[in-house]
Amino acid sequence: MRELALWAAVGELLVSVPLLVRLARGPSVCDRVIAVNTWSLQVTLALLFFSFWAQRTIYLDVAIWSASFSYLGTLVWARLLERELL
Amino acid sequence: MSVQLVAAAVLGVVGLAFSLSGAVGILRMPDLYTRIQCSGKTATMGALPALLAIVVGAGWSTTYADRALLVAFLVVLLNPTSAHALARAAYKVGVPQSPRAVSAARGPLPQDDAEGGEGGPQ
Repeated sequence: MRELALWAAVGELLVSVPLLVRLARGPSVCDRVIAVNTWSLQVTLALLFFSFWAQRTIYLDVAIWSASFSYLGTLVWARLLERELL
Repeated sequence: MSVQLVAAAVLGVVGLAFSLSGAVGILRMPDLYTRIQCSGKTATMGALPALLAIVVGAGWSTTYADRALLVAFLVVLLNPTSAHALARAAYKVGVPQSPRAVSAARGPLPQDDAEGGEGGPQ
């Protein structure tokens, strides 16, 4: 079971390769923001699988931090593009 | 080969497959709005089965299952919100649609040549 979790973590990180390509050559800022958002979700899943593989629950908090703050970052970017930030 | 292991493996494979398809869609789709749609597919059908795989694999009443369900709640709550806000901001900023896209504001594609060389309706 634990080896399966490690392979799932590696798979989620390999999935993020097309997202990095889109992040590198996105024509607009919004393309890059959506690539970063999806990539951080993949990183969150990889962290959850990795924490189960390593049997260390401290990585779970890192994953929750990543999940919540990546969406917060997307909302801040949308607000900045739409009107002023404050 | 217990039932728990098989269920977790199947859920993980489904999540990985949908995550891969969503990532390829973000790479290959023609404009921003279709890419946002692919991002939503990645979150809904890619992340939630993977999180359920963690819940099934680690056991229901463990710390891993609790945190995975909390992340699933966050994803379900925040991903449509952020996708909507980003698409709205992009539309207001003026990120162009693909010339092959069909929208009510621009009218339907002409019937005779949908992939025509005129560049679509004006």
